[in-house]
Amino acid sequence: MASPDRAHGRRFYPLMVAACVPVLAFLVLPTLVIVPMALTAGDLIVFPPQGISGHAFADYLGDQQWMQSTKLSFEVAVLAVAIAALAGTSAAVALHGKRFPGRGAVTGLILAPIVVPLVVLGLGDYLLFAALGVLGGWAGIGVAHGVLVTPYVYISVATSLAAGLNPALVRSARSLGARPTSVFRHVYWPALRPGLCAGAVLAFAVSFDEVVLAWFLQGPQSTTLPVRMFTAVQFELTPKIMASASLFIGLATLTLLAQALIARPRRDLV
Amino acid sequence: MTVAAQQPAPVTTPNAGGGRRVVVHDVWKSYTPGTYAVRNVGFALEPGEFLTLLGPSGSGKTTTLMMIAGFETPSRGEIRVNGIDVAGLPPELRNFGIVFQGYALFPHKSVLHNVEFALLMRGVARRERRRRALDMLDKVGLAGLAARRPRELSGGQQQRVALARALVFEPDALLLDEPLGALDRKLRETLQAEIKEIQRRVGISILYVTHDQDEAMTMSDRIAVMNDGRIVQIGTPAELYLHPATPFVADFLGETNLLTATCLGTDGGHVRLRFADGAIGWAAAARDGVARRIGDSVTVAIRPERIRVLRRTDSTETMIDGTVGGGTFLGRHARYVVAALGGRLVVSVGGGDPDSALDAGTIVRLGWSRDDAQILGEPEAPPEPDQRR
Repeated sequence: MASPDRAHGRRFYPLMVAACVPVLAFLVLPTLVIVPMALTAGDLIVFPPQGISGHAFADYLGDQQWMQSTKLSFEVAVLAVAIAALAGTSAAVALHGKRFPGRGAVTGLILAPIVVPLVVLGLGDYLLFAALGVLGGWAGIGVAHGVLVTPYVYISVATSLAAGLNPALVRSARSLGARPTSVFRHVYWPALRPGLCAGAVLAFAVSFDEVVLAWFLQGPQSTTLPVRMFTAVQFELTPKIMASASLFIGLATLTLLAQALIARPRRDLV
Repeated sequence: MTVAAQQPAPVTTPNAGGGRRVVVHDVWKSYTPGTYAVRNVGFALEPGEFLTLLGPSGSGKTTTLMMIAGFETPSRGEIRVNGIDVAGLPPELRNFGIVFQGYALFPHKSVLHNVEFALLMRGVARRERRRRALDMLDKVGLAGLAARRPRELSGGQQQRVALARALVFEPDALLLDEPLGALDRKLRETLQAEIKEIQRRVGISILYVTHDQDEAMTMSDRIAVMNDGRIVQIGTPAELYLHPATPFVADFLGETNLLTATCLGTDGGHVRLRFADGAIGWAAAARDGVARRIGDSVTVAIRPERIRVLRRTDSTETMIDGTVGGGTFLGRHARYVVAALGGRLVVSVGGGDPDSALDAGTIVRLGWSRDDAQILGEPEAPPEPDQRR
């Protein structure tokens, strides 16, 4: 027998469908339309595509500049993830279960990159890197992205620890002779690993398609893929854009799949 | 010598006699200036002994245990293992096996790896580790479950893993912090027996923390009753039960009758008393070492089952008359409320023979011998540490 709540929910079911379907369609269709457009046989970005061909992908893969940007984006994202994993995990472990005056302020500082407008962050990084004379390198973009994506790792790891780390485990490990490094390895690490993986995947995705910071900090040899696409949309308008965009869709799908696999509840962590 | 350069106590040290002597000497703990969670606590845990810290929540018993374990630092005082003060060492450099409430087994490690952990931390070689862990699992009767994960075990099996894990490195003593606190009565009793059995087999000294007086009475060689951060009385279960030092101890360890009386004189370890209604009786002198003078008002405790219902021919040192007010048959014994000595006395009569049941309104003669009643004292508050000297 259905509970009253369920029956109540079912009454509103058509309303929910009526509200959700258009929203989802609006969100998903413009994305999905990219793939057929990338498969056009023509040289223009139009829908429906003029014939089917893989030449846009061949152009994209054969263009040295575009390939260099793609490689650069991966490098930037890897550096950003490395920084975020180190900083975010350290912060989450250090703050786990601690209470002290100013804890809110510290947390706020770690999470600030999420709320600070990207343009402001980008301008600030631009001026700083210019003053330091390190403007225009991929490492600079990676560092800036590292700051930007640290909150994602921090939140994810902190949540993992809050849910999966029994404080008595730390004590029991210490009573058995474990020093801080062993406590981290045998108690913290198993509890935070799922959060770290999920956070790293998300951080990679955020860095890989970030435009604003990468735009401010770009140099002749350091144009990330999204920035190149953005420029190409303004000046070239070739189906190469669509081909590289398809790459993003593929990556995003992989990210979602990875998230779904990692986020599966792990009973042995309780 | 820096702390980082020190190793946990090596496991090969001879550890005969089931643990080392652990002495807690004049330990105080303060979290906020002027207030003390633990005051002037001192006792010795002898090798092979089962000592229980018993008290209500907030009495300082867990804080005391955590100071011995090293998770709390005493504000003052010493914790000595075989004469060496360990109060300044972090827990990982002490050598105590600890069993926590809920057991805190490593969820992602197998039973074997849980038990091996302390040996791994001490750098014991893999083969030796395995041998000793399996040996210990065998001792607790879990050799067949070495490959399981903790969550695949029953509560009782988990406790045995926790004990094996805490015993495998031959600790100086085993510290148990209310391990059975969250379990139902039936399981508790089984697990209490298991802890005692494993202690007997391994021969380790145990310091046990609980708020459950039955648990303390069944398991302990000695009990330290704590209240308000202090040890109120320490002794064997029988001593504490029959000769409580204060009303708190008398009340905490089971049901008791508290009577007011006037001191008429002393005879060795006993005191002659006049009760409120004029009756004369005897009780054991107070355990606080303070002599009572003639005319002093005292509080006397007597257990319901130590009061006898006398037959016409019986005679004992203290005899009083009373009127039965009501009774309850409880199987192994019957419990009566008797109006006597100007108040109400609870009397427990064993045997449960329905024929000897007392009807309400019956006039009865009650009596006890001089060691069955105990004069109580109030412990003096120890001086605050800052005010000494």
